[in-house]
Amino acid sequence: MDWKRTRESADAWHMTDDLHVEHGKGDPFAAAIRATRMSMIITDPRQADNPIVFANDAFLRLTGYQRQEVLGRNCRFLQGPKTDKAAVEKLRKAVDGVVDTSIDILNYRKDGSTFWNALYISPVSNDRGELLFFFASQLDVSDRKRSERRITADKERFEKAVQERTQELEAALEARTTLLHEVDHRVKNNLQMIASLILMQRRTIKDEAARQSLTTTLERIEALSTMHRRLYQSKDVGRLDVSDFARDLISDLLTASGRTHINSKLDLEPVSISAEKATPVALIVNELVTNALKHAFSEQPDGTATGNIGIRMSQPDGHLNIEVSDDGVGMAGTVSETSFGMRLIKSLAKQLHAEIGWHDAAPGTKVVISIPNEPQHKENAS
Amino acid sequence: MIEPLKVLIVEDEALLAMELESLVEEAGHSVVGWATSSAEARKAVDTTDADIAFVDIHLTDGPTGVDVARYIGERRKSMVVFMTANPKRIPDHFAGAIGVIAKPYTMNGLLSALRYLQEGVRRPPPKSARPAGFTLSPAFETVWAPTS
Repeated sequence: MDWKRTRESADAWHMTDDLHVEHGKGDPFAAAIRATRMSMIITDPRQADNPIVFANDAFLRLTGYQRQEVLGRNCRFLQGPKTDKAAVEKLRKAVDGVVDTSIDILNYRKDGSTFWNALYISPVSNDRGELLFFFASQLDVSDRKRSERRITADKERFEKAVQERTQELEAALEARTTLLHEVDHRVKNNLQMIASLILMQRRTIKDEAARQSLTTTLERIEALSTMHRRLYQSKDVGRLDVSDFARDLISDLLTASGRTHINSKLDLEPVSISAEKATPVALIVNELVTNALKHAFSEQPDGTATGNIGIRMSQPDGHLNIEVSDDGVGMAGTVSETSFGMRLIKSLAKQLHAEIGWHDAAPGTKVVISIPNEPQHKENAS
Repeated sequence: MIEPLKVLIVEDEALLAMELESLVEEAGHSVVGWATSSAEARKAVDTTDADIAFVDIHLTDGPTGVDVARYIGERRKSMVVFMTANPKRIPDHFAGAIGVIAKPYTMNGLLSALRYLQEGVRRPPPKSARPAGFTLSPAFETVWAPTS
């Protein structure tokens, strides 16, 4: 009896087709579905192969078929060679599972032309939950698909262009880095070469004053060597940590013969300076430290000297402050206004716009330099 | 008194090799050979009996210093210390080398390194402080400079 009832319902849809002239006007819903611009069909899943039992005019206009050509047929005749198999499979699963689904699928008209169909399928059951029909609506979204495809193509083209440009830039950076390493390598080798030449020359000289003079020159060159070694060890080859440099410099100078009884007191905050400042700062620090080592401490009969030398580095309010102190013989013995070392210090300080002062520390001497330096948080900006 | 070291120098710059030889000998050690290319270095390794080889990465036949270090390591005849201005070219495993003296080194830095290496080779681990500009390989770091 239920079967009979549902058959009647299915036939009722048929009748709206068959009898649309006579009865359509009396059924406002059927009339609306027939007349809407939205393409719609109804299929009967209880007949073999779920055939179309109703198609409105909009469907016929969209697909180009006559009504008698579509009624009684499964709607797969809309599919063609370029229809996505996965989309068809998704549809089949929705129908088998009796669930609604929406999908964009490429369909074919009667004349073989294609259109993108935004298909919506929904099962219709009676109040006892028995499946009666599938209701399906079709919307031609070819324009939307075309612009989607154009956007995708544009995006791909754009991404490809970006990728190509990135590769170019990476190659340029790679070349620049290689070049920088090559130059760095040469600078360091040449510094080693210069130091070697001075050492070789010194071996040939008997005169003590001349030897001393070459030793002082060697120490200045080696201060630059230590600075360069540190400069290129850092992540950013444009900057130097002066505290690291000072640590290397003092440990290097104190291992020299006759200096093993001199102690160092280091109070070093990490302070980063730009590569342009690195050379004058390295030379000034070297000058102050070697000067103290040579003149501040009186030599013992065995040729050794005893004492303390201190280096402090700090960075208050945009200045690099360097303090080199000793507890030796005092300013009269260490500070010579006319020496080349003193002229070197004063010229380099002027280049750095630095203030420099010698103070009597009783015992010993304290030299304080204050160099304008960029704020530390801009460390990576240059 | 610790026995002095026999040193093989593998360095393509004649001037640097000459000066290095002088410094090594002034420090009481001896130089048993000098090679400028990887082929010369292999020959020197096979015909001399060095305790330690100072190996530059860049030789006359290209960046072959690491190969030389590997060759020396395979023969287990001497230990290797790289000497280079480009420490970034050394592989992470250091090809078995003790470490690297970064160029440009200073005269005092080199003399300290020689003292340190003499202690390390003759009576490991070394007692002297590690000199500035000398870096140990990870393998030797654990043996010569354990942190705990």
